[in-house]
Amino acid sequence: MGDNYAHPYLANSKKDIDEMLEYLGISSIEELYSDIPDEIRFKGQLKLPHYKSEFELMEAVKSKLSKNITTREVRSFLGGGILDIYMPAIQDELLRRTEFYSAYTPYQAETSQGILQAMFEYQSLICELVGMDVANCSLYDWATGVGEAALMASRITKRTKFVYTAAIAPNREAVLQNYVTGANLELEMVPYVENTGKMDVAKAKAMLDETVAGIYIENPNFFGIIEDELDEIIEDAHAKGVKVVVGTDMNSLALLKPPGEYGADIAIGEGQSIGGGPLNFGGPLLGTLAMKYNKKESRQMPGRIVGQTITQNEGEVAYANTLQTREQHIKRERATSNICTNEALVALSCAIHLTILGPQGYKDTAETMYLSAHHVVKKLEEIGVKRVFDSEFFNSFILDLKIPKDKKQEFTQFMLDRKIFPGIPYSFDGENYDYIVTTSYLLCEKDLDDFAKAIGEWRK
Amino acid sequence: MYRQAKYDEPLIFELGKKGRRAHLPPRCDFSRDGIKIPENMRRVTPPDLPELHEGEVMRHYVHLSQMNYCVDTGTYPLGSCTMKYNPKVNETIARSEKMMYLHPNQPVETVQGILEILYELQLALGELAGLPHTTLQPPAGASGEYTGLNLIKAYHQDNGEGQRDEIIAPDSSHGTNPASTVLNGQKLIEIKSNEDGRVDIDALKAAVSNKTAGLMLTNPNTLGIFEKDIIEMSNTVRDAGGLLYYDGANFNAIVGKIRPGDMGYDVLHFNLHKTFSTPHGGGGPGSGAVCCNDILEPYLPVPTINHDKDKDYYYFDYDRPKSIGKVHGYYGNIAVALRAYAYIAALGEEGLKHTSDQAVLTANYAMRKMEKIDGLRLSHTSAIPRKHESVLEATPFLRNHEVSGMDIAKMLISRGVHAPTVYFPLIAHEALMMEPTENENKDRIDQYVKILEEEMEKARQDPDYAHHAPTNTSIGRVDDAYAIRNLTLSWKMIKEKQEE
Ligand SMILES: Cc1ncc(COP(=O)(O)O)c(C=O)c1O
Repeated sequence: MGDNYAHPYLANSKKDIDEMLEYLGISSIEELYSDIPDEIRFKGQLKLPHYKSEFELMEAVKSKLSKNITTREVRSFLGGGILDIYMPAIQDELLRRTEFYSAYTPYQAETSQGILQAMFEYQSLICELVGMDVANCSLYDWATGVGEAALMASRITKRTKFVYTAAIAPNREAVLQNYVTGANLELEMVPYVENTGKMDVAKAKAMLDETVAGIYIENPNFFGIIEDELDEIIEDAHAKGVKVVVGTDMNSLALLKPPGEYGADIAIGEGQSIGGGPLNFGGPLLGTLAMKYNKKESRQMPGRIVGQTITQNEGEVAYANTLQTREQHIKRERATSNICTNEALVALSCAIHLTILGPQGYKDTAETMYLSAHHVVKKLEEIGVKRVFDSEFFNSFILDLKIPKDKKQEFTQFMLDRKIFPGIPYSFDGENYDYIVTTSYLLCEKDLDDFAKAIGEWRK
Repeated sequence: MYRQAKYDEPLIFELGKKGRRAHLPPRCDFSRDGIKIPENMRRVTPPDLPELHEGEVMRHYVHLSQMNYCVDTGTYPLGSCTMKYNPKVNETIARSEKMMYLHPNQPVETVQGILEILYELQLALGELAGLPHTTLQPPAGASGEYTGLNLIKAYHQDNGEGQRDEIIAPDSSHGTNPASTVLNGQKLIEIKSNEDGRVDIDALKAAVSNKTAGLMLTNPNTLGIFEKDIIEMSNTVRDAGGLLYYDGANFNAIVGKIRPGDMGYDVLHFNLHKTFSTPHGGGGPGSGAVCCNDILEPYLPVPTINHDKDKDYYYFDYDRPKSIGKVHGYYGNIAVALRAYAYIAALGEEGLKHTSDQAVLTANYAMRKMEKIDGLRLSHTSAIPRKHESVLEATPFLRNHEVSGMDIAKMLISRGVHAPTVYFPLIAHEALMMEPTENENKDRIDQYVKILEEEMEKARQDPDYAHHAPTNTSIGRVDDAYAIRNLTLSWKMIKEKQEE
């Protein structure tokens, strides 16, 4: 290869290189590394494959990926916070506009109005869904959102205890537990009522006091259940100065009251399932975070925020990153969060998707999810299969299957043979598995019936 | 002459009209009567979402896109950000159906293909780092920092040295370094750089103690200067019982040339959205993969992705009792990781080190040309070469003409090139941080420097011209103070103001 190395990703030819070396008065690029001690220079050969042409690359990746089986080949009842969605053709057409995806964070506002206005619109759309005034322009995902919200509640209240629902997704719980270790927050879990799966009102109230920074509620919760007995808890929390953080399935808000309307101080959720993007094996995702505007408390928000402003000379409407004195590049060790690179393109995708859906499409898809789930439940009940909790739910429920640990693999294969991903296994006792079943709007009636039928067959 | 597109583009909310539709979701034949939401939890007012037809949605976002500068528009030498070309084949690959439609909770036997790719990427990154164990879970650089520092903390605690809670970092460090330190519950000990812009060894020696958890340092540092005393520094920290963290944001200087593991580092994060060409997306997503050595491996986040060679089977390992837990809901930004994998594969063993060669060459070429411009000077020292980036100071220009680094940046964007990073690192004054990357050829750099010279000459003649720049961008200079005085952060806040 030597000095004549040329590659589509490298801008300079041998001639360019020689000219630049000549300008610098040196004979090789190596001289620019001459200040580096010889003993730490890497002299070996990298254990990496040879370069590939574009065609070879495509073929190689395609060949590996072909071993996957997708949610478009198998009927997926997997949820847990993210969902298989359909991205209309126009959406990817727009996301492939290089002006958006190959730009950096808009540090120079005057030449980046496009993404800034789009982020302002994204923040606004999120506020509309959750009933809040201000949203940031993304966190990494819902799970890190729980962590950020806990820390934010603690900064606002200057308290160091945080209580959270036991009906939380295990992955979100794990991230929360990790996120708060640095701040030394003490975590306590609020139990749910055994037969309803809803947060235990009496126990929640007993746990809230003047040492608690915030309470985290999921609605619908991880078991899919609509929490409809929150009034007393939220009232009590506010009386004791405890911040109420609500995590929601963002699709459910087409039918359910937005958290901003029942007293939540901070609303978080996952934007993937409302158009942020395909599943992509779990990332990139989109953590949404919004709150009621409060001069002091809103300054505790993590992440970037775009505001509307004007130009200095002409007084024209303009958009710019604002409230930046919360952020790491200015406040360093006193910043509200370490987040810098966020999920802007996923937020843009989400904004485009919500725009395409409009109020009718947003409602239609949510209703289909709801009705599909309820259809499956009806079919299952007909053959005597029950849910663990019989409370009202949106598009997700936990199916009482009690599959013993040693039968789990067999069950997975049994369902796979019928082209079904049956849901997320969840164990209450550490021995037997129930399944959290979620319906998207992409499954047709036959898929739903087949699912119920397959469960029936397994039980025989 | 450059003119950026400009539209008086209303907010999307102002464009709609009741009853228009841009999309029809799959039909649903179930009766709506079946919907029973508990009365007290029913949504009464629907969200105010825009109503447009498909073509109008297209126009809105096309207009917005045309008011956005990107690396495919022109030179984008944003220092520390490594704005290199985003290969288009990677975009195509990332849109494979076999990638997009994978749920992270699928049975592991249905995701062997993607796991194989992720596993190979882990090995490749480990090889480049000289640190063999990798997690792809952190979704950005800052999250990688947090994760890596978390590993260091877990290590000390596990060794009965929980009192080691101090992270030493130079004052030249990126803002995320101190912020991640504090997020970890560690204390930041900031040490001054010397006049050469390097870590002051004596200050480091004075800072270490039995409370030292580690040193956090990017090398080359944020001035683009290689910390040549790294071995002495690493010995100093190690002798005091601390570990070394490498901020890999500057890795584009050293790919295949130096390996942090060989410099004595214990752990690093990569910014796959910098060094490995994945698009920055107007702010994200990124990926902050972390590599570490054997002593930190037990603490890596769960799950790790492993390979059973006998069965040729890839799997997740959750059985990691010493793990710090999870830093992302799933396994990280997988679609970003796939692009990075494709980038590494396309360049291969032969090509990767040429990226650093060219990145370092273009940086030094641009810097030597720029420092000749009257009013600019190289920060700290001019005597040594930089690596992939350099920091120029516009202090003489400010002093002589009252034209600041920010003014210079605004004049540049007015000419259809992007400005360098301004006012970072904080140890430089009126900083212009320049990182052309291997994506800029000599002609482009010559053109850039010429534009810079022309604009600075205009400013010398008429400082007001500089103060009023930019003029050819979609809008003129933004009033940041107005934004704060009149906080308007959403459509909802606009509506409320209109009602008042
Ligand atoms: C030197 C340095 N360190 C850390 C980071 C943080 O990385 P990220 O933005 O991916 O969180 C950056 C980039 O912004 C950087 O330039």
